[in-house]
This record gives sequence, structure tokens and C-alpha cells, in this order.
Amino acid sequence: MKKYLYIIKTQIIKSMTYEFNVYGNIIMQTIIMITSAYFWRALYTGRSVVDGVDVGSMQTYIIISSALSVLLITNVERRIGSSVEKGSVATDMMKPINLFGMFLAEDIGSIIALIFQNMLPILLIGSLMIKLPVMADIRDLPMLVISVIESFLINWLIAALFGMMAFTTINNNALIQVKKHLIRLLSGSIIPIWFFPKSVSKVLSALPFVYIYQLPLSIYIGKGDRTEMIFQMRIQFIWLVILSALFFYAQSRITRKVMVQGG
Amino acid sequence: MRKSFDTLLHYLDVTGQEIKMAFMTMIEYPSNIAGWFISNPLQFIMGFAIIKFVVESFGEINGWNYGQLAFLYGLSVISHALSMIFFVQGWFMGWFVIEGDFDRYLTRPLGVLYQFFFTNINIFGITDLIPGVIVFIYGCAKSGVTVSFLFIVQVIIMLIGATFIRGGIYIFLGSTSFHTRSAVDFGQYTQEIMDKTTMYPMSMYPESMQFILTYLIPIGWVSFYPVSSLLGIDNGLSGGMTTAFITLAVGLLVMFLAGAFFNSGLKKYESAGN
Repeated sequence: MKKYLYIIKTQIIKSMTYEFNVYGNIIMQTIIMITSAYFWRALYTGRSVVDGVDVGSMQTYIIISSALSVLLITNVERRIGSSVEKGSVATDMMKPINLFGMFLAEDIGSIIALIFQNMLPILLIGSLMIKLPVMADIRDLPMLVISVIESFLINWLIAALFGMMAFTTINNNALIQVKKHLIRLLSGSIIPIWFFPKSVSKVLSALPFVYIYQLPLSIYIGKGDRTEMIFQMRIQFIWLVILSALFFYAQSRITRKVMVQGG
Repeated sequence: MRKSFDTLLHYLDVTGQEIKMAFMTMIEYPSNIAGWFISNPLQFIMGFAIIKFVVESFGEINGWNYGQLAFLYGLSVISHALSMIFFVQGWFMGWFVIEGDFDRYLTRPLGVLYQFFFTNINIFGITDLIPGVIVFIYGCAKSGVTVSFLFIVQVIIMLIGATFIRGGIYIFLGSTSFHTRSAVDFGQYTQEIMDKTTMYPMSMYPESMQFILTYLIPIGWVSFYPVSSLLGIDNGLSGGMTTAFITLAVGLLVMFLAGAFFNSGLKKYESAGN
């Protein structure tokens, strides 16, 4: 455990090195957030409630979605990709520490730094420039915390599984893009799937992606009643179990067939 | 005169070789080709489906109907694809700066910016182009424009302008790395902002934002103004060739300014210490 904490600490220090990255990211994310807020405001002109959600909740949704996206930044897929491609995976695997445990610790470290560098400034800017994102029902807070932790893990596991494909394909850049677009468009991070046609949203709620963004956000804005939320959290948990099983299976298989390029 | 003609021929010759090499690198990893052919069309098919769903839930967006939005989306994706082919490297300029990769280009007798973009020409951008063209043709049919010779010429000129605007913005953002000595992955953010501002009618945003997007960061010229003019949507612009040439002029101006900013940054470049 101490080893992992040390990696987390190193990663936090590493993330603090480049100051400009922080400002650059905040500026870009602010622009995206404000554009999205205006986007929804324009769509809602002349309508007060669409699919049970009003414009105020939608703006809260956007602010919290921007903040949540900070927690869902993973580097594991690129990390595996580059270490397989460059062959440094061999030395990585020699270290007296679990390879994927190390990657997870690195990602957690960067996220801890990002919470202070990105997430809090974005929440502050959003509250000042758009509206104060008040949670619909504070009693749902325990549910929110659990669902955010699970959504972080689901997101990380999907990233790790896509990353592992590098062991067979050597170059996984394109696969990383596939994953990125699947999550970006199907998770409700930009447009919640309740605006999609019924049949499409039914299919999507069977997939793991909506449980990354949309579930915690729905809990936050109080969309749907509690029984519905608990039902969705069960599906989220089932996906977490399925993906963990897949992950451990793939991990045991994949480390056996490492091929190092260039020797 | 003859000398500059020779230089041009030389550049064309080198470009041919670069493209040949880019093809060879492309087939190095077969799974990668498959990946790009899935990921990029997937992105735009889903993106387009989302626009359809939004229109179904909310009706017309700021007076733009579904056919007009498809037209806008198609044109926007085509210029995105072209900018991906020629200028995507701008997204990664920061890493070239901090890893000292410009050394290679500085020692060679061709233009640095030319080498930077064409050594790494991204043939995979074609996978963006195909869905773009499909959606655009669909949009033409749905919005009921008459496709004449003049129309095609206008579209081509506008696309060149739009590609230059996008490319110029990538160069501009990438060149900030010379001054900040750090690499920021602006790619994803840039794309997200571009998606929001070029794939939906810009008139849905407040006046102040429209002003910025017209005069300061001329993203409005990438798709909104050209498409409004082509479809005859009233926004104070005259139809015909005028808008096409304004788009091209804006593109050239952005490219010129970005190039100047790049060159001023390159003077500050001092490789990676080792």
C-alpha cells in the first residue's frame, strides 16, 4: 500500500510542474461550459419543461458535468499504449509492484491534483457566470457519492480494457479514439439520453456508458424518483462487477503474451 | 521567376514523397487502419444522430429546420476532415517543442511549418471526409438547394477558407507552447468548442458571443456564414460569390497571422536540453 501512496504523491508533484497547463485547461473548459449553457438556453426558448427537465436543471447538469469530467480523466490507456509500443513495458513489469495498480495510482494522483487545479475553479466560475448549481435533494448525497465512485471505477476499467488491447494490436491510438467517442456521445455527458427516442435510450441504458456520467448527474438534479435511481444504481453496480471480472481475466491472460518491439 | 517555379516544383516533389511515406506508415499497423475506419465515421454518425434527436425533442433550432442543420453539419464535418488531414499536427505542437523535435526541421532547407505539417500528413483524415461528404449530400437533398456549377464552385472556395481558418487556429494554439514551454492537449477542447459553434447555427448564441466568433476568433466563417449564404437564410449577407470570397479572405488572413505567430515563437525555440 505504501508503494502506491508513494506513486500517488509523485504523480501529484508531477502534475503541479506545468503551471500554464492549468490555466489553459481552465480557460478552455470554461468556454465549453458557457457555450453549452447558452446552447441549452437557446434550445429551451419558448418551452419551460422538456421531458420532465427545466432549463435551470439543465444548466446545473452542464456545470456538474464539466466538474465531473475532471474526475474521469484517465491516462492508463495511453500509458499502456506507449509502454508497449516503446517496449518499456518489459522494465515496467519487472518492478515489484502490480503493473495496473501502478497505473491506477498514477491516475488517482493526477486526479487529486486536478481537483484543486481544475474542478474547484470550474465550479466557482460556473456558479458565478451561469448559476449556482444547487443539488436538488441533499438527502441523496450518499447515493451521489457512491455512484460517483462507481462511475470513476467503470470509466477507469473501460479505459484499462481498451488500453490492454495494445498488447495484441501494438498501436492502440485508434482504439483510444473509439473509446473516447463512445463515452463522449453515449454517456449523456453532452446531451442526456432522455432526449433520445425511447427505443434508443432503452438500448443505451443497457450499456455501461450512461452510468459514467448520466446517473450521478441525474441524482444531482433530481431527475426521476428514488426507486428509479436505486434501480439504475443496481445496474451500475452490475456493470462494475462485469467489467472488473473482464479486467482481471484480461490481466491474467495479457501479461503472458507480452511482445517487446526492437528487443 | 524561374527560381521560384523551381522551388515550387521541388516542394511538390517532396510533398509527393511525404504522402507516399505517410501511406507506408499507415499500413504499418493493420489493426490501426480498422480502428480509424470505425472510430471516425462512428463519431460523426452518432453526432449526426444526436442532432436528429435534438430536433425531434425541441423542434426547429433557432428557425433552422432538420434539412438545413444536416447541410450545416455536413459542410462543417468536411472542413473538419480537411483540417485533420493537413493541420492536425498543430494539436501536438507542444510535444514537439518540449521534446526538441523541431531541431530536425530547422536543419533542413525547406520551410519549418511546411515540414512540420507535411512530414506528418495525416492520411487517416479521409475517414472523417467520407461521413462528411455523405451527410453533406444528404443535407443538400433534404434542404432542397439547387446544385449548379456556381454552387459547387462556391462550396469549394468556402471549404478552402474554412480549412484555413481551422488550421490557423490549431497553429495559433500550438504556437503558444513556444512561449509557455509546456504541452497542453488542446485538441479535444478545440474540437468540442468547434463542434458546438460550427455544427449548430451560431445565431442561437447571445450577441456578444456572435461578435467574438465573427470578428475576434472567426469561427463563424467556418460554417455558419457560408451556409447561411448558400441556403439563403437572412443574416445581412449577400448571396453569390461575395460570401465565398470573404470566407477565403478570412481564412488566408487567419493563416497568415498564425504563421507570423508561429515564426515569432520559433525564434524563442531553444530545443530540449540534454
